[in-house]
Amino acid sequence: MREKYDEEIKTELSDEEIDNLDVNAMIHEQRIREKSAEKEKRKQQRKESVQSVGRYFSDAWEAFTRGDVWVKLSSVLMGAGYFARKQIINGLLVMLAEAGFIFFIAFYSVPFLADFGTLGTVKFESVFDPVTLQNTVNDYDNSFLILLNSIISIFVIIVFVIFYIANIKNVYKLQLDKESGKHINTFREDLNELVNDRFHITLLTLPVIGVILMNIIPIFVLVAVAFTNYDQQHMPPNSLFTWVGLANFKSLFSNSITATFGYAFGKILVWTLVWAVFATFTTFIGGILLAILINHKRVKLKKMWRTLFIIAIAVPQFVTLLLVRNFFADSGIVNTICSNLGITRLLQNIGLVSTSIDYIPFLTDPGWAKFMIIMINIWVGVPYQMLISTGILMNIPSDQIESARIDGASNWQIFWHIKIPHILFIQGPALITDFVKNINNFNVIWLLTQNVFITHDQALASSNAKEVDLLVTWLFRLTNEYYNYKMASVIGIVVFVICAVFTLITYTRTIKGDREEDFR
Amino acid sequence: MGNITDDTVEKKEIQISRTDNGDGFLKFRKKLFDVLRYVLLVFLVVVWLIPILWLCVTSFSSQSGINISHFFPTSWSVDNYIKLFLKPDSVVRYVTWFRNTLEISVFTCLISTAFVLMVSYAMSCMRFKGRKALMSMSLILGMFPGVLSMIAIYFVMKSLNLTNSHIGMIIVYSAGSGLGFLIAKGFMDTIPTSLREAAKLEGASEFTIFSKVVLPLSKPIVVYQVICSFLIPWGDFVMAKLMLNSGKAEDWTVAIGLYNMLDKSLVNSYFSVFCAGGVIVSIPISILFVIMQKFYVEGITGGSVKG
Repeated sequence: MREKYDEEIKTELSDEEIDNLDVNAMIHEQRIREKSAEKEKRKQQRKESVQSVGRYFSDAWEAFTRGDVWVKLSSVLMGAGYFARKQIINGLLVMLAEAGFIFFIAFYSVPFLADFGTLGTVKFESVFDPVTLQNTVNDYDNSFLILLNSIISIFVIIVFVIFYIANIKNVYKLQLDKESGKHINTFREDLNELVNDRFHITLLTLPVIGVILMNIIPIFVLVAVAFTNYDQQHMPPNSLFTWVGLANFKSLFSNSITATFGYAFGKILVWTLVWAVFATFTTFIGGILLAILINHKRVKLKKMWRTLFIIAIAVPQFVTLLLVRNFFADSGIVNTICSNLGITRLLQNIGLVSTSIDYIPFLTDPGWAKFMIIMINIWVGVPYQMLISTGILMNIPSDQIESARIDGASNWQIFWHIKIPHILFIQGPALITDFVKNINNFNVIWLLTQNVFITHDQALASSNAKEVDLLVTWLFRLTNEYYNYKMASVIGIVVFVICAVFTLITYTRTIKGDREEDFR
Repeated sequence: MGNITDDTVEKKEIQISRTDNGDGFLKFRKKLFDVLRYVLLVFLVVVWLIPILWLCVTSFSSQSGINISHFFPTSWSVDNYIKLFLKPDSVVRYVTWFRNTLEISVFTCLISTAFVLMVSYAMSCMRFKGRKALMSMSLILGMFPGVLSMIAIYFVMKSLNLTNSHIGMIIVYSAGSGLGFLIAKGFMDTIPTSLREAAKLEGASEFTIFSKVVLPLSKPIVVYQVICSFLIPWGDFVMAKLMLNSGKAEDWTVAIGLYNMLDKSLVNSYFSVFCAGGVIVSIPISILFVIMQKFYVEGITGGSVKG
């Protein structure tokens, strides 16, 4: 990639040359050709992926129909095919897995799956029993447990189906191997495969299980909750909740006198995007400028300066942000200093602070709080960006800068035409990742404003929102303080969609697997 | 790539500055800019360090609440530190919290580093069916807001009876860590394939290649991963607050304990203790960060996606 970039710079530098028109035209043509080739390739890939799904199932069917009696028997007793080829331990393990699955579904999942459609019908009831002097509780349904366990069961079933299909194919392959007289692995050899050609299975099993448990199942649970009426009035175990379709999505995008979610959502969405844009670009530009300042040729003790800035981010965020929050409190030290120096009076005179209060409402007035949050975020984020930019700046090939010098470029031109494009080139994709991270930047907003900022906007307050909230902090408050899980889930899905759109923009540029071989 | 060695920069810059020699006015201008540059740097450092300085000096204050009229405390003492370490009360259990946090962080660090390295080796060095599908899926999963799934994780853990337990915390922090493989994978992508092929020709198994060839060559990224995965539980606040909600102070981590001290009813008698606790918890991280500086840059610029 570096070479390609060099080429571009060189063509730029040779702009004054006479034959540059031809060069430009050629490059242009080549680019068009590359683009169309890429398009063609993508189309091909899409086609292939559709075909491969079809082949996946047809292969299994073929294995079943063409297989011998043992293969057919394997569709019921999954280990049969292995026993026939003398792979006793493999056969036993597979049979064990099958038995475990049947046992799990029959004795654990069925009661939950049966109620999945209604999420429970028997309400919690507790009757005082005068004989035993104790409350007896009926056999009630817990909607949440039904939901959670049903989803887990569905996952288990899907995994089992994949396992089942793979098993049929595998057994058929064993039969073919046997017929053609190929060597059939012993159990020991199979184990040996796991540290060789099939090492990826060994490596990936545990992490994938972890991800399914901690990421995938929770996501599915909450997507499901978005279509229910799970909130404070419908909290298990004391009451039931049930499916309500798209009602929650409707209430997020509409307004009525009692429900102001539409209003709050619009306001918070706008602030979230404004925040993400400002937070990303201010720290990005600030970090580059600081890196350039520190790396200037006549600045001594570069390492010391850098370390001083790093100390600021080495203190955990929950300490610094809570501290800064008290620093800028209404009756905090900054306000004392400002009023001693007459700054409060000055701001009152120019109308930035209302005259009814004698302090600067750094974190209590919507406008001021938003400004301060962005400023404090610069404080938090710039040292990180400085570190990264330093690394990138040092990797700019010196011959580039030197040749620009020889051609008579000024410092400013070098900065603007070489250094900035280089940083942007390397960091471009990361910039959008940062943007998405800032949409989800919980810490800064929550630690700075929780218990400090009180909204005076009735419409916002009635949907438990504040002016300074991001979508994620609003979501967290809805669940953690108001138990409004249904709306929180809807907001979560919206945030996901927004982030997905921004990530997909960069997706083709970032992990497009085709290019990864180029760097070896 | 990415070494912060000042000589290289200076060398580059000296070559550049050859053409810079000018007359007296230019020299004067140069001096002026030099001074301005240092003034600016000092100003910025002051801005960045004022809160940290306030944290440190307040931790040595003998006044327990927030001093709102003076930046420096009026009288100094080490009582706050003594209180932290030697006189635990119903609010302050610092030694216990510190031990809890350390325990959770160390185990999380071990498990997640192992997970990340395992996944990145599989994704970078091996070719198998479904590899690209797995990679795209991990990217999509990463887009889901963590705060949202936190609530569901809480319920999953609750139904497993693992809330308010440190094992539960370790599982929560480390189980999903395999998703964060992109940077390490990017780094392993830069290790020449020929090395692995040579080892294979000598008869090495994939496991041997992983442990004897690729891991030693990935030392910078291993250090980076170790430090990063240690820092996540060490500095985390939200997840701990959600999971350790029993109200029993001896279960808490440092983050929750310190946050609790700033409760409206407590802040006036514990603010300086909070500062002392903040200083102590920052020391290990500061050391790690200074070590990590180099690897951080290397990890980001070398390991991140190139172009």
